[in-house]
Amino acid sequence: MLRYIAYRTLVALFLVWIVVTAVFLLLHLIPGDPAELLLSQGGIAADPEAVAALREKMGLNAPLWQQYIAHMGGFLSGDFGESFRDGTPVIGQIALRLPRTLEVIAGAALLATIFGVPLGTYAAIRADGKADALISLLSSVALSTPVFVVGSVVILIFAQELKILPAGGFVPFSQNPLEHLKLLLLPAGTVAIALWAVITRMSRASVLEVLQRDYVRTARAKGLGRSRILRRHVVRNALIPVLTVLGLEMGTLIGGTVLVEFVFNWPGLSGYLVAAVDARDYPEVVGIVMTISVLFVFLNLVVDVVNALLDPRISLVKS
Amino acid sequence: MTTGFNRRRFLASTGAVAGGLAFLGPRRLMAQEGGTLRFALSTFPPTFDAWTSGGTAAGTIKLMIHRGLVSYGPDGMLRGELAESWEVDDEGAWVFRLRDATWHDGSPVTAEDVAWTVAEVQKPDSAAYMQGQLARITSVETPDEKTVRMITAEPLAVLPGWFAHYHMPILKKGEAPDTKIGSGPFMLDRIDRGVSISLKAYDGYYKEGLPKLAGIEATVYADENLRVAALEAGDVDLVEYVPWQAMAQIDENENLRLDAVDGPFMYLTFNGSRAPFDNPLVRRAVAHAIKREDIVQAAFFGRGGALEHLPIAEQSEFFNPDLANSWNYDPEKAMALLAEAGYPDGFDCVMLATAQYGMHQSTAEVCQAYLSMVGINATLDLPEWATRVKKGNEGQFDLAVMGTTADNNDPDGLGNVLDGSLPANFSRSYGLETPEISELFAKGRATFDNAERKAIYKQLEEVAIETTPIAGLAWRSQGYGMKASVSGFSNMPGQLTFYSGITLEETLLG
Repeated sequence: MLRYIAYRTLVALFLVWIVVTAVFLLLHLIPGDPAELLLSQGGIAADPEAVAALREKMGLNAPLWQQYIAHMGGFLSGDFGESFRDGTPVIGQIALRLPRTLEVIAGAALLATIFGVPLGTYAAIRADGKADALISLLSSVALSTPVFVVGSVVILIFAQELKILPAGGFVPFSQNPLEHLKLLLLPAGTVAIALWAVITRMSRASVLEVLQRDYVRTARAKGLGRSRILRRHVVRNALIPVLTVLGLEMGTLIGGTVLVEFVFNWPGLSGYLVAAVDARDYPEVVGIVMTISVLFVFLNLVVDVVNALLDPRISLVKS
Repeated sequence: MTTGFNRRRFLASTGAVAGGLAFLGPRRLMAQEGGTLRFALSTFPPTFDAWTSGGTAAGTIKLMIHRGLVSYGPDGMLRGELAESWEVDDEGAWVFRLRDATWHDGSPVTAEDVAWTVAEVQKPDSAAYMQGQLARITSVETPDEKTVRMITAEPLAVLPGWFAHYHMPILKKGEAPDTKIGSGPFMLDRIDRGVSISLKAYDGYYKEGLPKLAGIEATVYADENLRVAALEAGDVDLVEYVPWQAMAQIDENENLRLDAVDGPFMYLTFNGSRAPFDNPLVRRAVAHAIKREDIVQAAFFGRGGALEHLPIAEQSEFFNPDLANSWNYDPEKAMALLAEAGYPDGFDCVMLATAQYGMHQSTAEVCQAYLSMVGINATLDLPEWATRVKKGNEGQFDLAVMGTTADNNDPDGLGNVLDGSLPANFSRSYGLETPEISELFAKGRATFDNAERKAIYKQLEEVAIETTPIAGLAWRSQGYGMKASVSGFSNMPGQLTFYSGITLEETLLG
């Protein structure tokens, strides 16, 4: 088992290095000059001397390999560098914004699971009934509606019409916990809708499959109560693939909440990444991508290891 | 199959969860707390460096914290700020007399501070927006604590206007460019990077009884639709950059007010370094080939106006009514000009714009359609903004759609888009010499008599109409939306719209 974990960790580190290097090179490959962009906000003609002075200050005049080595050296020592735009340390900004994105994802996962698992299970035990058809329809709609449409609609309903929730924004939890939770509800709820659809469908399929298993038949044959069979034997076993999917979906969401963060003005990591790319703020982009890839790879690693723990055959096969 | 998990149980369990969300209750009304204005910014200032061009949102924040020697009044005319008077002395130098003002740390604003500011901005590596202009000041004298004398190599009529720009505030001697200490009506209280900026009133501000607000909470709402939603939902009191499609709905809402002016403008730039747009006849043909009203409709939902001359607003004293429709829509004339230039059958070319901003793309699409009617087949190149800037600066286009504002309502502010003697930049045509225009700009700057200046800029516009170094397309409306209870804030006229932050000192809630 240890050997398996060590092997997976090495692969994970290698993947992170590849991603960061690719992003660094791609950023320098695409057109756009951070100094020029900063000085020509609003379509204003930037003074070439000012641009040159700023480029020098940003360290952009050094050869690419030197910039690369400086970046990588920084990462190894835990220094992600400073923003081109205002010199703010990148690591501090990531530390500030990552929890906000994780919060949205965790909130969404919670909501999606609370509503998805029971509904999926219910659909499975009522397979091919009216309820099942309705749940199927709802999850299809939820899955195929783009997140910015859902976002705009919930803002219209809850903020502009009912006026029970703010349209968007952010207040730190420490400053006003209630307001913070209120502001979190719409973005988390919006992300949750698509996630809910995935979880509902996964739960339904998984429960249906487990219901056909021999041990369920045996349990029924020995006279166990139906609710007990469902709770003890069916849902528990059916949850394993659901959890795997949830873990992977959450990983994808770390860099994928861009639209939600934009629509609800939630200052998380994804929105930070988009702003950094727009401004060609290299240290910020590379730092954020590195963080996201580490988290993603780490989540996959956790899923793999948990699966291996649950089913020892997996680690035997792969190691 | 029946199980213990029935409909009733299911409803009970999900109902419990839903009940847990009931803590929301009716929305708490936000207290105004002695008049704190909640202002929705369109973007977070990319830099707090006072002299660096950081865009219009940064400009608005600067106008809260800092003050320059002069500024513009609501009528668009120059008015005193840190300087109470200014004049040219017998030797041709500009003399500014300072009023009694203090920095946010309580110390007085002195002539020394002004001289130091000018010297800092003049440094070649200052990255200051006004570096090029201020470099024309050869020396600054401070005969006493309250008098500043600026000496220039040649006479400069437009010099006071430079010190009215929001990227040209006076800073306290020795402070860093991103200092929190200013002399404006509000003090920086807290910055949550990328999210919000809190400011509180400075009680030592040099204007009696101002500012009227206790503070400003400026929050970034990058999504224009959310900005409007936040205003309608009552989350904010004032929003900038109202999207054109939402202007009507704000106008119609009796709880809200829209203040919009035509200020920024759209235009075409040309690559003058190669055929066919090195030929003024071809450029003028383009100017006559496009029906501007369609751009105003397609890109700005009818919020704006046709621009068939140089971007000098109708309200400006430099507006020339007889030239106002010189680039009118006249496809036959356009085809005749093309034939005269040697392109009777038209030609193929590349039109650069950006897909990042809908208004640029829509403008380009309308231009493309109209150009095809006179035989000019333009292929659209629509990269994201950063790439578009790069390509514009390097001349990788034949013609390009651009949008901006001039520095101020003085025609000298148009140098930014017209003057071919300035270095290559995406806001101007590429590789296009404009010797006559450059000369007239210089002459206008050196002339003090207003009637003479008007004549010079009229001549400049005539030359521009003839040679078409750019082709005007459309004015676009720039709007602020606010609650009906917000008073004292006003959108400044014409090109000064982005200076509107100056009126925040007069703004009052309720």
